[in-house]
Amino acid sequence: MGVIGKRVAYYPGCSLEGAARSYDVSTKIVARELGLELDYLEDYNCCGAMESKNVTFMGTMLLNARNMSLARKQGHDVIVAPCNGCSFSLQRAEYFLQTDGKVFERVNSLLREGGVDPLDKIPETYHILEWFYHEAGPQKVKEKTKRPLRGLKVANYYGCLYTRPHFYAKTYAHAGGQEEEVRPRRRETADDDEHPYYMNALLEAAGATSVEFEPMHTQCCGGPHSLSDEQVSEKFVMMILQTAKRNGADIIATECPLCHASLEMYRHRLMMKGVPDVDVPAAYFTQLLGLAFGYSANDVKLKDNLSDPLPVLKRLGLA
Amino acid sequence: MAIHERSLVEPERIVRKERLVIDGVDVSGDWNLIILPRVINDYDLDFAKEIINSPDGKTINQCYQCSYCTASCPVHNYWDERYNPRHFIYLARLGMIDELQKRADVMWRCVSCHKCTHRCPKGVLVEEVLKVILRTMAKKGLIDEYPSKKFDKFFTESVLEYGRIEDGELLFGWIEKQGYNVVKDPILKKPIPFLGETPEWLKQLVMKPIKSMNVSFLVLNAKHMLFHPRTKNWNKFKQVLRKVMQEEGALT
Repeated sequence: MGVIGKRVAYYPGCSLEGAARSYDVSTKIVARELGLELDYLEDYNCCGAMESKNVTFMGTMLLNARNMSLARKQGHDVIVAPCNGCSFSLQRAEYFLQTDGKVFERVNSLLREGGVDPLDKIPETYHILEWFYHEAGPQKVKEKTKRPLRGLKVANYYGCLYTRPHFYAKTYAHAGGQEEEVRPRRRETADDDEHPYYMNALLEAAGATSVEFEPMHTQCCGGPHSLSDEQVSEKFVMMILQTAKRNGADIIATECPLCHASLEMYRHRLMMKGVPDVDVPAAYFTQLLGLAFGYSANDVKLKDNLSDPLPVLKRLGLA
Repeated sequence: MAIHERSLVEPERIVRKERLVIDGVDVSGDWNLIILPRVINDYDLDFAKEIINSPDGKTINQCYQCSYCTASCPVHNYWDERYNPRHFIYLARLGMIDELQKRADVMWRCVSCHKCTHRCPKGVLVEEVLKVILRTMAKKGLIDEYPSKKFDKFFTESVLEYGRIEDGELLFGWIEKQGYNVVKDPILKKPIPFLGETPEWLKQLVMKPIKSMNVSFLVLNAKHMLFHPRTKNWNKFKQVLRKVMQEEGALT
């Protein structure tokens, strides 16, 4: 395989430098172990996530174009983001910049006005899971595994925006509707759109067992409404956690700091209310891979997880 | 224009009578249901035009009302059947603003999961279109402030100010906007998590890293709460960003 490149620009996003520090640390560990290089995007700004785009269109284009411009300045064609929201925002900007000439011109002139280099080329954005799978793959993970996650039953939670929508994530080649030049094409490296399996494959290579988790593996956790629409978010998270628990999962593996925070926050609130079958803890998939590669629970900052997956992992002798 | 949308028939327009004779013919029984005629003449055709002219809303006209979006929508399926993306697109294209306004209490509930956009067979960016409809309604003053918009604005203002967001500030700032009494220190005006009337679940969550003696985590987040992380060289870019957002009417 190997079509993305071993050395890429790394856009961590705001979350990973604060509350989701464990994801950042464990991602760096896994990348190093797999022989991949992350080039930190200096002086990046927030991508606008799922919130700013509802308020302003051009503003989000500008926010993301600035990050793209920084990546080009550091000599990269590829940006890798570990957060679903960040990769979505960058891919969304990429879509509109590529398909709408007017937007592209406007953005470039505004970038120049703001003291940032205009874009000579639009860099492509990948989710870090896609990058790990294609640049290292399950085989490499298997080679590096020193302490297999034997007996650990994992529910792999992908969240919404890792595979959706296909216009941005390029997971599916669509037939209808749009003109030839703006019609999306499937990216060779992309995951399956309705049945993603990259995380399953990587964690299974590290010795874990995946439990049946469809269709909740791509069900929304409340996302941008986790704070503003508590009733809906609570119901969605309850459905996700209960499906995982009732399918026998010990732990939920996540790949997005927002999903992770939402799951942990509402797990706590649901447990306070006494809702049954919601006590499955959550951990980032990189944390689990880090453990399999022989790192300690402290190295991958398992203590940071508010849902506390340590007892489960200790019981199985994995941490 | 004939009404061909069942949900446009208001309950009070459906008449059922025990005994009914029309022009000397007895139509009692199964035939006694009558829908009173309704005249609609306040179509706002400019509304759809405004949506079509925005870069993220221009795919609205590709919609052929198949309802795949609604069938996929988790808010429709698991929360409220009145949340119906297909219907909102239909109403927006016709320019039936009053009907959209009647659904204002559910219209904002989209969680941006993009199942609709992903599965649309006609290539409509459904999620984007729905947000443009809401944005346009808000701009024209046709819809009251709704919770998600409050949060979106709060979030965007933080991005605009610092270039980056900070989880603690977002959480406590939002709690404060919800009407909780958040106590702040007098000098830096930063929230103190343990004082004031923060909700119980949040207090317990804040206590977790303290109980597990996770010192480095606490130090990092306390540092971020005290000194907001910033993007360097942000000021010049901020001016441009603010200008663009003002043009779009995003800042009020």
